[in-house]
Amino acid sequence: MKRVSYVLSAAWQGFWRNPVMSLASTFTVGLMLLLFAFFLATDRGLQAAASVLESKVELALFLKDDAKVSDVLALRALIEADPAVSRVDYITKEQAMARLVEIASRQPDIQIVDISTNPLQASLEIKLQNAQDAPRISAALRDEIGKGVVYEVVDNPSVVDKLLTITRVLSFGGVAVLGMMLVVALFVIVNTIRIAVHARRDEIEIMQLVGATDWFVRWPFILEGMLVGALGAVAALTAVLLAAGPVTNALVGFLEIVPLSFGSAFLWQLVGSVFALAIVVGGGGAMLSVRTHLAK
Amino acid sequence: MVSPRANGRGNELITLDDVSKRYPNGTEALRDVDLHIESGDFVFLVGSSGAGKSTVIRLLIREELPSTGRVWVDGQDVVRMRRSAVPRLRRRVGVVFQDFKLLPRRTVAENVGFALLVTGHSEEEAREETERALSLVGLAQRRDHFPDQLSGGEQQRAAIARALVNRPKILIADEPTGNVDPVTSWEIIKLLIRVNELGTTLVMATHNAEIVNALRRRVVHLDRGMVVRDEREGLYAA
Repeated sequence: MKRVSYVLSAAWQGFWRNPVMSLASTFTVGLMLLLFAFFLATDRGLQAAASVLESKVELALFLKDDAKVSDVLALRALIEADPAVSRVDYITKEQAMARLVEIASRQPDIQIVDISTNPLQASLEIKLQNAQDAPRISAALRDEIGKGVVYEVVDNPSVVDKLLTITRVLSFGGVAVLGMMLVVALFVIVNTIRIAVHARRDEIEIMQLVGATDWFVRWPFILEGMLVGALGAVAALTAVLLAAGPVTNALVGFLEIVPLSFGSAFLWQLVGSVFALAIVVGGGGAMLSVRTHLAK
Repeated sequence: MVSPRANGRGNELITLDDVSKRYPNGTEALRDVDLHIESGDFVFLVGSSGAGKSTVIRLLIREELPSTGRVWVDGQDVVRMRRSAVPRLRRRVGVVFQDFKLLPRRTVAENVGFALLVTGHSEEEAREETERALSLVGLAQRRDHFPDQLSGGEQQRAAIARALVNRPKILIADEPTGNVDPVTSWEIIKLLIRVNELGTTLVMATHNAEIVNALRRRVVHLDRGMVVRDEREGLYAA
């Protein structure tokens, strides 16, 4: 117990012995973790969106809010006449929302935050005999846009494809950027600890002389690295939590999407991942530094 | 190649067997050194600078390894010992240096207690043992002073207290009087004699002829890495 308290207090003193350097490395680690959290959230969001869109529907015809029901029904009859179409369903605004609520309830990753307004549009969902006819039919239906009934034609399989492509690109890009940030963060931590070791070189010399074990000499520095990581994690997660609300609102206002937010399961996963990465980077960097600078 | 147990000298605490040390830069610090020190001995290591005194000391606390030959300390093969066993060896060998090596931002008591805290003792144990060591060296009144508030002799006594606080079997002093005036030198020597009388084996490297000649203890004379003289009641010069 006494050993633990000695090592802990040595680590804490080490952190504040050179506050500028410690806070600079905390900031760098925090920035890296913020990026990590951002990629984690974006990736998860896109995946969730893709899975929502991956319903059975192959083509969707979104209708203008002011379209007349008679015109809609006429259009529906027209589409049903095409031999490639197997079925057309008319989904009202209310049904669309009800379905979204239902989907969300099955997905632990998403929650509907606000359902007082309904930005969803009524639609005609078209099932095809053969998915290969989708491009031809969607092209024909796009001609209807601007004629008072059809707002947009969505070729679902291609949207899902696009989303998955974006997810993949973002993942690759994210991993690359994250990798670079990781190297920078490690470099900064290695240097911070190197300076800490240098500041305490007399103490270390005496510790080794009087028979302190290697781990007793090293632990304070490794804990100091972990402390830098953990404080960086706290900073990054605080920033994420503070930014989450405004960013979501901005996205809702700007993109006119349904306000979705991540469930608490994902939040805990995010907190856990960020802290785990922080501890690994902080402790790992410190260990690396101590191994090279405490060779004897 | 005789182990200290096998050679019949059961009381032997330090053994150097045919030890040579060549540093990477080519300097030959020790050549074929044989040295046997028994428990309770008081040994002066004498010789000019660069004769190999400091290398002997570094071998005993395994700061260096010999190029050839064997080193035993308290029955342990220092050369073959695992790295993880080195801390335990160093707890049995206290070392005092010419430049004291006290931590300037810690008080005398903290400097002494430090040696116990970093070797895993509780604060209570550290407090008790620190008091014991400080009264042994006569610094109990100065326990809360910082090193720069002490005289050179007091600083060296604090360093000796730190070296003794782990109750080592061996105390090695590398030029302990090198940085203090003659009167203070005698105080330090009297203290070391007392430590030796209490049962700690003492190995002291020194240039101080006056002290060596006055005490008539065992003298091991090193010259260019070789033991040229080893006398029971020796003088500084032959």
